[in-house]
Amino acid sequence: MEHRIEVDAAELSRFAPHDHPLWWGILGAVAIEAAVVANLLTSYFYLAAQAEAWPPDGVDPPALLWPTLVLFVLPLSSLTMWWAGKGSDAGRRRQLALGVTASVGLASLALVFRSIQIAEFDIRWDEHAYGSILWAVTGFHYTHVVSAIVGTAVVAVLAWRGYFTPERQLGVVVDTLYWYFVAGVFLPIYLVLYWAPRLL
Amino acid sequence: MTDATAPDGTRGRGAGGARGHGAEPEGLPDYVRGGRDGLGEAELAELERTWQSPPGFLAWFTHVNHTNIGRRFIITSLVFFALAGLLALAMRLQLAQPLNDVLGPEAYNQVMTVHGTAMMFLFAIPAMEGAAIYLAPLMVGARDMAFPRLNAFGYYVYLIGGTVFFLSLPFGLAPDAGWFNYVPLSSKEFSAGYGIDVWTTMITFIEVSALTAAVELIVTILKLRAPGMSLDRMPIFVWAVLVMSFMILFAMPSVIVASALLMMDRLVDTAFFDAALGGSPLLWQHLFWFFGHPEVYIILVPALGIVTSIVVTFTRRSVFGYAALVLAIVGIGMVSFGLWVHHMYTTGLPLMGRSFFMAASAMIAIPSGVQVYCWIATMWGARVRFATPMLFVLGFFAIFIAGGLTGVMVASVPFDRQVHDSYFVVAHFHYVLVGGSVFPLLAGLYYWFPKATGRMMSERAGRWSCGLVFVGFNLAFFPMHQLGLEGMPRRVYTYLPETGWTLLNQLATAGSAILALGFAITLANAALSLRRGAPAGDDPWDGPTLEWATTSPPLNCNFARQAVVQSGNPVWDRRRAEVSAHVGGLRTDRRETIVTTVLDARPHAVQVLPGPTPWPFVSALVASAAFLGLIFTPWAYVLGFFAAFVTFVLWFWPRRPWRED
Repeated sequence: MEHRIEVDAAELSRFAPHDHPLWWGILGAVAIEAAVVANLLTSYFYLAAQAEAWPPDGVDPPALLWPTLVLFVLPLSSLTMWWAGKGSDAGRRRQLALGVTASVGLASLALVFRSIQIAEFDIRWDEHAYGSILWAVTGFHYTHVVSAIVGTAVVAVLAWRGYFTPERQLGVVVDTLYWYFVAGVFLPIYLVLYWAPRLL
Repeated sequence: MTDATAPDGTRGRGAGGARGHGAEPEGLPDYVRGGRDGLGEAELAELERTWQSPPGFLAWFTHVNHTNIGRRFIITSLVFFALAGLLALAMRLQLAQPLNDVLGPEAYNQVMTVHGTAMMFLFAIPAMEGAAIYLAPLMVGARDMAFPRLNAFGYYVYLIGGTVFFLSLPFGLAPDAGWFNYVPLSSKEFSAGYGIDVWTTMITFIEVSALTAAVELIVTILKLRAPGMSLDRMPIFVWAVLVMSFMILFAMPSVIVASALLMMDRLVDTAFFDAALGGSPLLWQHLFWFFGHPEVYIILVPALGIVTSIVVTFTRRSVFGYAALVLAIVGIGMVSFGLWVHHMYTTGLPLMGRSFFMAASAMIAIPSGVQVYCWIATMWGARVRFATPMLFVLGFFAIFIAGGLTGVMVASVPFDRQVHDSYFVVAHFHYVLVGGSVFPLLAGLYYWFPKATGRMMSERAGRWSCGLVFVGFNLAFFPMHQLGLEGMPRRVYTYLPETGWTLLNQLATAGSAILALGFAITLANAALSLRRGAPAGDDPWDGPTLEWATTSPPLNCNFARQAVVQSGNPVWDRRRAEVSAHVGGLRTDRRETIVTTVLDARPHAVQVLPGPTPWPFVSALVASAAFLGLIFTPWAYVLGFFAAFVTFVLWFWPRRPWRED
């Protein structure tokens, strides 16, 4: 048997942060979580359709002020993430470190708003199925913001220590991808939790 | 560049008894002698050291190679299969006589629930995942999977979750509300105690392992294929694994949400399923079956891939209707998401809904039929070799088609309402599941055992096993059709003598004993063949796909040099043309595999893969503790979240020297 070398891998990139298998892996994680959100929101409508009144009589829909603020803060934090990534691509380490730190700060602010708003809910989780699903969806997204924050905090620590280079920045790229998801998925959650009970 | 001086590398590793994983410390192991695929002896030896899984008990917890992890998945799932099978025998023993007292009603409910849940979640899915994890990277010509550490993490999650679930039985804490765990029976009001909590937490936990496997299989298949293996040259088995993985990705979240909601109902008094507080018990059924029905096809689809691989090899022909087969598999995957409600015909659905799901359920017969005809056309006029794997495939045809026919029957609303919750349904789904997954798995075991161990299994014992399993299965389950039509409800722990069901039940019990004997023969065959089997060589069956291009068992690095392929049957091409094409330029001192584009598999990068590490095991331990804690207190959620996060940081923390080029 004759053996031929038809592809030489010596010159191929070992980094490829924007097209790395891990990038695809994070996309898979995003798909799973999106499916979880879809299941939760479908359950919300299923329970709403079965209920006589939604929200139940005497319960106000959650206030709009705080969640609407979050709706703007989270995309803003995505913008700083994007800006950080631009810096990382160009090898500007300071821009990267500042950008991810700003994102962590903004998302923490969003958490504060979310916490105030949760404290203002007009119903507990154990009083009615409406309260249960409201708290569950809110808690689910809250957990995701927390995990995005702590994950990005680690990226920020590494960034300030100068670990990342334009080649070695896979961590930044995949963290950003996940961040966009956490910020983006708030839109359908916002529409369902805060507008659906007003419009249905 | 050519290197005609290298030997053709047909020497098998099993022949010399050389175990591939970790047995050789310094000197050159037999199988690297003379090099392979044009790679020199010294380089191959270094490559093998780089990819070695270190020996020793403690080092066992650091292994990440997909062959190690895949093998563990398969062996663990077979252990659970045997245990859940013993539970089935206990149930059959109880039902052999009316008013028998082998098992009391409480014990029977627990045994039945653990049997069903374990067969589905601890055996069928993990066995298919294990086969996929072991075979898919070999078939696409990769050195390992895309995320080896995640792979190991998934295994420990499965091992720990499955063990805890099974241990609940001897401790008397087992769930007892059936494998689909319907509310309100499973709500706190009607099921106090920890049994149902074990079900909800452990099922959620084990599904994490299915999800990690799915993501990892998808990325491996889409990004790590050998150069030249465009999507239309991918083996059908790999297509089936890809479809299975996407199905897991979109089906499992639904059962995770369902069991998480039930967990909260039981733990912190939410009211999702509590009708008195505006909840809906039917929501459970929708969420569960939106997962539960695709689940059946998650098990079936890879089995179809196994069947196709075997039909191709044992007829020595390219598969007939490649595109039609791929479309049929994709079609089954898609349609399977549109028919979950046929499990709920008796819950009072609107007429329109029933008609829709009846049509969708019947529609799945179309792609299934396309496949059967493709297989028939492949075999038509070929000189089929009737070795054991092929015999099990023939058994699959008979049993699965019978199960498919009753499937079309129960898909129709009026018939279903008649036999719902009767033994007819038990007969139907055992025909579909045992026929559709256990027969192909056994066929696959006989087919790939030589590849994984370097030894052949005994043909004689294989034929006996196949015959006994086939006869035993039909004797055990065919009478259940009649029992169901006569009105015997499923899940009853006993029945009265006046019902006249005794004889058929005794036939079923006798059949289950024969079935168990048939399985035991294969188990013994595998155990004995591990040491005594005839040496297999690289390619004992003359298979067309890339797993047959490496040694048996596969090298630590899978392939001395990764292949470049030009068709769907690369190994046959190679033999015909006397030429093999390879990838050069990968380093031998660290773990590298080539990355290619999604559609055409053009090479565009190299992925550097991690070596052995204990962190996935530590993470899995912490996550297990958190999930176990959730049985008792909601605070385990918060604690577990941060503890797991710490282990993930330690897992991913970059270590010096950073991977500089």
